[in-house]
Order: sequence, then C-alpha cells, then structure tokens
Amino acid sequence: MVIKVEPRRGRLIIHLLGKWRFEWTVEPRYWRNPLIAAALWICLPLLVPLMPRGLPIGPTALLTSLFMANVVAISAMAHALQTIGTGRLNFGPHFFVVVGGYTAALLNKNYGLSPALTFLAAFAVAALVGLALSPLTIISRGIYFTLITMILPLILYELVFWRVDIFGAETGIPGISRLVSTGDVMSDYLICFYVSLAISLAILFVVDKVLRSRLGLMFGVINEDEDVAASFGIEVKKIKVAVFTLTCGVMGISGWLIAHYYGSFAGTMWLEPWLLIFILLSSVLGGKATIYGAALGSYFVVLTRDLLRPFVGEVALLALYVVLLAALYLLPEGLWGIYRKTRYREYVPTIRVRRRA
Amino acid sequence: MLQVSNLVKRFGGIVAVNDVSVKIDKGEVVGLIGPNGSGKTTLINLVSGFYKPDSGRIVFEGIDITKKDPDERVKLGIARTFQVPRLISNMTALQNVTYAVVGSRRFKERKMTLSEAAMEALYYLDIVGLLRKRDLLCRDLPLYELRLLELARALATNPKLIMVDEVMAGLNPVEADNVAKLVQRLREEFKLTIVWVEHVLRIIMRSVERVLVMNEGKIIADGTPREVSKDLTVIKAYMGEEVVV
Repeated sequence: MVIKVEPRRGRLIIHLLGKWRFEWTVEPRYWRNPLIAAALWICLPLLVPLMPRGLPIGPTALLTSLFMANVVAISAMAHALQTIGTGRLNFGPHFFVVVGGYTAALLNKNYGLSPALTFLAAFAVAALVGLALSPLTIISRGIYFTLITMILPLILYELVFWRVDIFGAETGIPGISRLVSTGDVMSDYLICFYVSLAISLAILFVVDKVLRSRLGLMFGVINEDEDVAASFGIEVKKIKVAVFTLTCGVMGISGWLIAHYYGSFAGTMWLEPWLLIFILLSSVLGGKATIYGAALGSYFVVLTRDLLRPFVGEVALLALYVVLLAALYLLPEGLWGIYRKTRYREYVPTIRVRRRA
Repeated sequence: MLQVSNLVKRFGGIVAVNDVSVKIDKGEVVGLIGPNGSGKTTLINLVSGFYKPDSGRIVFEGIDITKKDPDERVKLGIARTFQVPRLISNMTALQNVTYAVVGSRRFKERKMTLSEAAMEALYYLDIVGLLRKRDLLCRDLPLYELRLLELARALATNPKLIMVDEVMAGLNPVEADNVAKLVQRLREEFKLTIVWVEHVLRIIMRSVERVLVMNEGKIIADGTPREVSKDLTVIKAYMGEEVVV
C-alpha cells in the first residue's frame, strides 16, 4: 500500500511507500481557535461586495488590498521559514518575487503557457535560482549574507534596464493572461482573492506542520547554534540548502500571483525597497519568526497602508512607517505575541510522566 | 578504536596541535591533561570535526574520518561535551536531548518519530537525574545541571566514543565527585570509550586507567596515572624549570 495511516494515542503515524514515517500530532483541544480564525479569514471577504457605497475605500480597492496582503503573506511566511531554517536574514526576498513574476509573464506572453503551467514554472525557476545561490547560506554568515542578498535585487534592476527588449524596463510586460476572466469584475476580484488565500492557507498549513515536526526542531537548533547542530548529527548543510531553495520557490509564487492578477508585470516597481520592507516588517511586526505572525503582520501592514491612503493621500507610505514604528515600539513580541502570551506552546508538546505514589 | 596520526593544526603562526599521534583502544578511559593552552580542546575539536587538520589522519573504527563533517562523525559514534556548556538556551532540557536523538544514526535506522525520540530523550534525562527538570528552559538551569544535561545529550547520540571536555570546571567538590561517579557509571552501563579532558587532577588521576599529557601542542607523556605523576617532563610542564620550596 502506498499510504498507510496508523492511529495512535493523540497522533497519527503515516507510512509512505513502506519507507518513510511521518507523524501528525492530533490535538483537537487546540483546534477551536485556528478553525475560528480560518472561518473568519474565508468568510469575511464575502461581505466586501455588500459594502455600502460612498465609503473612503471601495469594494474592488479593498479586495485588491486583501489580495496584496496574501501576496505579501506568502513571501513573509516563506521568509520567516527561511530565517528559522537557515539562521540567515535574507534581504532580497523581493528578488525572488520578481524572478517568479518575470518567469510567469515571459512564459505566458511568449509561449502561451496557461497560468497553471506558469505557476509551476515560477516556483521551479525561483527555486532553481535559490538553489544556485544556496551555497551562500553555508559560506557566509550574519551581515555578509544580508549584504549579499541585498545586492541581488539591484543586479536584477540593472538587468531589467539593460535588456529592455526582454523585460520592458519600467513599462514591463503587458498582455499577460488574467488569473480568471468571468466577465463580472467583482467575481474576478473575489476569485483572485480566494486563489491567493488558498495558496496562503496551504503554505501556512504545510509550514506549520513542518515546524511542529522533527524538521522544525532541527531548524530551531540550526537557527540558534549551527555548530551545536552539526555536533549532534543534524545535517546542517543539506537542511540549509533545501530550506533556502524551497522557500525561494515559494516567494516566486507571489510574483506569479502579481503577474496574472494585474495582467502586466513591471519588475522595477516590485524591486523597490518598499516590498522588502513590507515582507520584513510583516515577519517582525507579526511576531519574530512565527508563521502565524507573518500572515497576521502582512494583513496589518498592507491594510494599514491602503486604509490610510484615502485620509492622508500621498503621504500614506510615510504615515504607514510612523504607525509601524509605533507598533514595533509598543509590541516588542509582535501582534502574534499578544495571542501567544495566553497560549504558550513549544515546538514539541509537553510530555507528562505519571508516577504512582 | 581511534587512531590519530601526525595531526597538525595551526592558527596563524601558532601550532596548537603539533604532530600528535595517539591510539585509543575500545573500552579505555583516557585522561587528557595539560596546562592551559596546551592543545587539549583543539585535539578534541579536531577529532569531533569542529576543526579540519592542516595535516595528519584520523581513523575511527577503521574508517578514515579526517575529511568527514561533524554530523557524519556523530553518526559513526563520536560524541562530545563542551568546555563551556553549549545548549540551546531557549529550548527545554527535553528538547535539548531530543534533537540529539533525532540527529543520531539510530533515529534513521529505526525510522523513529518525534514522539518516540522524545520518549528516548526522557530515558537519558532520567539516567543523569534530570527527569524532573525536563520542561525547564536551559537558561534557567544552574551550571551543574547544564553539565549533566550535556552528558545526557551526548549519550543520546548513541556514542561509542565520548569526549568529555572539562566537565568539572566551575563545580564545587561535591558536584565534581558526583559527575565523576556518573561518568564511571555511564562507561560501565553503555560500554563507552572515554577521552576525558580535565584540570581537576585529584579526580582524573583516580578515575582513569591511562593519562595523556599535552604541552605546547605535543603529547609529552603517556602512561598510567602513577607513571605520569612521577614523570619529570610532566612536572616541569606544570611547575616550570625551577621549583622553589
């Protein structure tokens, strides 16, 4: 049998091909709040088309903001996992977003590949670029790694202007197929939002499971002390390369979403520092290196910017940074910290040993 | 079991380990002593794979491990503790031992799950007497318990050879005696070969069968504790050329 599920007390052991065993800790007592959060996340946007007219922000603008929040959330979650699993702070996540975006745009425009195929291609190309750059996680540490990754978007920026014939410089690549085209604008916006939400939820689920598994424990050790990790049998190099490669691929998916949502892709706009700041701040403001925090932080950052815009106009970005600085100052453990303080949990469930008196 | 041949390690102009050749047999408890800066910890770091040697060869159970990474050496059965405890301070005692079980060869061979690894980690914590402290974060543990936890973590990798680096540093005499007894017990229960780096000569001299003395990166004496304690070269290395009484 390919997959065999073996129920145990409080967990399921999944046997795959008789070779691998995966453990899924089943804790129904902890399901309530995540289920409520997921239900709200899925249902609330359905109310957006019913919004009364005359509000400072319209339903399509709000749906676009929610879509962008998901785009940032995907990259922020991947970035948070990358930071945990490699112990390195990548300052070029937007580089991989743009690699994914250009891959989708060029393949769709020049070769007529459908969005489903460009999705795979965007992931694969961003992951391959990540794989090519992954030795950096082994040979460089701390500020050096950060500086190297900071240069990557600048290189791509120059490349985009150098090969205008391919990348279209500031004009970008127009005429890309839309993600959906039903004829009804509001339905298109809603469907696009739900596609981005489905991807975000899938990534959140997978990353959460990974972090609660033995891999999560190993990532935690690598993040704290690589030498100790290696001294106790953890294959540090392999893990760092794998984590960096896969998370770069996930960041590429953000680019794919952007390209097929707007129907055109101008990398120069997304290579600017604001996207980097949004991704980094989402992780930090949500809660340092927590996946749920990254998702929550993305919504906070994007919605704050877009909801401030009708009131403060051109200085929305400036106002956002002021709000974010205040939030960082007032919430050192991030938004997720507020919730986590009441429900403290660790990587591995606490094991109680009962002894007879 | 372990054969080190002509090992050399330089840091700039300093030769920390200078043409060292040592053979350690299975089941031995070998004390490694020497003045500060004599190269004891560097030798441990070379054998455990922390440092790569400039020249020389390290063979463990017939396998040349000179170029192998630390994680591969752990899987072959070489474990170590650190002079200054290096535990993950944000993790609990249980988690600190669990990741060592996860990194061990046995974890893959038995296709264990994380829960099974945690159960096994409890066993090692119980052996060193830290079962009650399993859910405490390492940053909240005193030095004595950190030393015990380091031993539990090293045991969790299922080692054949364990290198104990100054496990008594900073402990009071009672704690040091307890640790010495524990190391002896572990050796008997787990059939371990032990290389024991120590400054507390009072304990090392009565706990080991063979003593290696290092000075300025070289092995200057190799023999039983009684032989070594009478060796003039060793006395000179510790006391200097002249002793004024």
